[in-house]
Amino acid sequence: MIFDRPDSVELLNAVNHFLNEKIKDEVPPHLAFKLRIVENVLNIVSREMALGEKLSNDVVKDLRELIETDTANIKDLALLIKEEKLDLQNEDLKNLLVKLSKNKITVDNPNYSTLKKLVD
Amino acid sequence: MSQELGSLLSKKLESESIFGEIINLEPLTGGASKEIWKFEVKLKDKSEKYILRKGSGIEGPLAIKTSDEALIQKTVRKFGALVPEIISVSSLSEPLGDSYIMKFVEGETIARKILRDTEYKNALQNLAFECGQSIAKIHQTDIAELSFLPKKTVKEQLSDLYETYTVFNQPSPVFEYTYLWLKEQNFGDIDDALVHGDFRLGNIIVNQDGLQSIIDWELAHVGNPLQDLGWICGNSWRFGNTDKVVGGFGDLKDLLDGYNTVSEYQVDKEIVKAWQVFGTFRWGVICLIQASAYLNGTINSVEKAAIGRRVSETEIDIVDLLFLGGR
Repeated sequence: MIFDRPDSVELLNAVNHFLNEKIKDEVPPHLAFKLRIVENVLNIVSREMALGEKLSNDVVKDLRELIETDTANIKDLALLIKEEKLDLQNEDLKNLLVKLSKNKITVDNPNYSTLKKLVD
Repeated sequence: MSQELGSLLSKKLESESIFGEIINLEPLTGGASKEIWKFEVKLKDKSEKYILRKGSGIEGPLAIKTSDEALIQKTVRKFGALVPEIISVSSLSEPLGDSYIMKFVEGETIARKILRDTEYKNALQNLAFECGQSIAKIHQTDIAELSFLPKKTVKEQLSDLYETYTVFNQPSPVFEYTYLWLKEQNFGDIDDALVHGDFRLGNIIVNQDGLQSIIDWELAHVGNPLQDLGWICGNSWRFGNTDKVVGGFGDLKDLLDGYNTVSEYQVDKEIVKAWQVFGTFRWGVICLIQASAYLNGTINSVEKAAIGRRVSETEIDIVDLLFLGGR
């Protein structure tokens, strides 16, 4: 990257800090609710930029091992399940779906109760 | 905007012979798809509190018109379910739009407050039982009076959900698996009934004495009523309290015991689980629908955008239920 610091994640974190520390207490209740959503959205973007590539590659690697092709992606997996071309009882498939779900929620909402329960 | 709305409300209430100045008109935090306003009417020696619920007038893939919600509330009230009294209904062509005015019911709807604040501690002890009772009362409503409601078999609902999901062209391996799994399940042999469709914390009013009122009927329909029992058990509606299967506050046994004080139907727990997976898939598809309103440019809203990233919550809940012993 040719850009200076703060990098994109650091910039987002600064915005989030500003919203949380300076704006949150100034807005009426119905906007406070929306402001919380805005903060969540910024956090998703920030986590996706920091972790997204690694979490995606991790799933795609397992997927390609499972179906033994070098180019398969998540859409291909969805189609193979839809057409019942994979054994739905296969433990590796189930494990892959678990990993896919865990990795997605790690970016979208790492505090989500089910993820926390499964990690503990 | 609120001044104009105040004058529209005033005129509408005058047509119901309620005359008084509209005061304290304020927007409330509503669902993602409705405007909700609280206001008071200043009468001679007192003031009375009301709620305006206003929709877009458009029926969604799952949601009914707001004015039809009011008709359901009027009907279920006759059958003993706890709902706020409807004062006035407005159709899309009227100045107030697709909306209705109902009496304000004191209490709390915000799930996290109900689950956290000490004043609701006693109410929570009995809430699952009360919810079971209320759900059964809703299911006893005479559906002949609700002929305008969509009527769907489980199979039709399931294929509708799947079709809706495919329209968004965002293939999900977990949802494909879920759909195949759901197609094989037993959802219980029971007569069609009125289904609330979204019975959970957030859509019920609770005070320190317990359940006071059931609101938000936009997902109501006629079909297999056991859906309501599985829906409230979904982890999406436990608000972090995963250990408490019913709504984050109660146990399944209490919900079913409450149900059986009104209904004789004995509910199998495996059937509740099938409905739980169905409900979680359904909530995932609803998140897709909401997000699509942002993605296709219909509504520029950060809430709608954000909800697209909640689909993954439903995916992890489903894999937990199907593969990892979740309940």
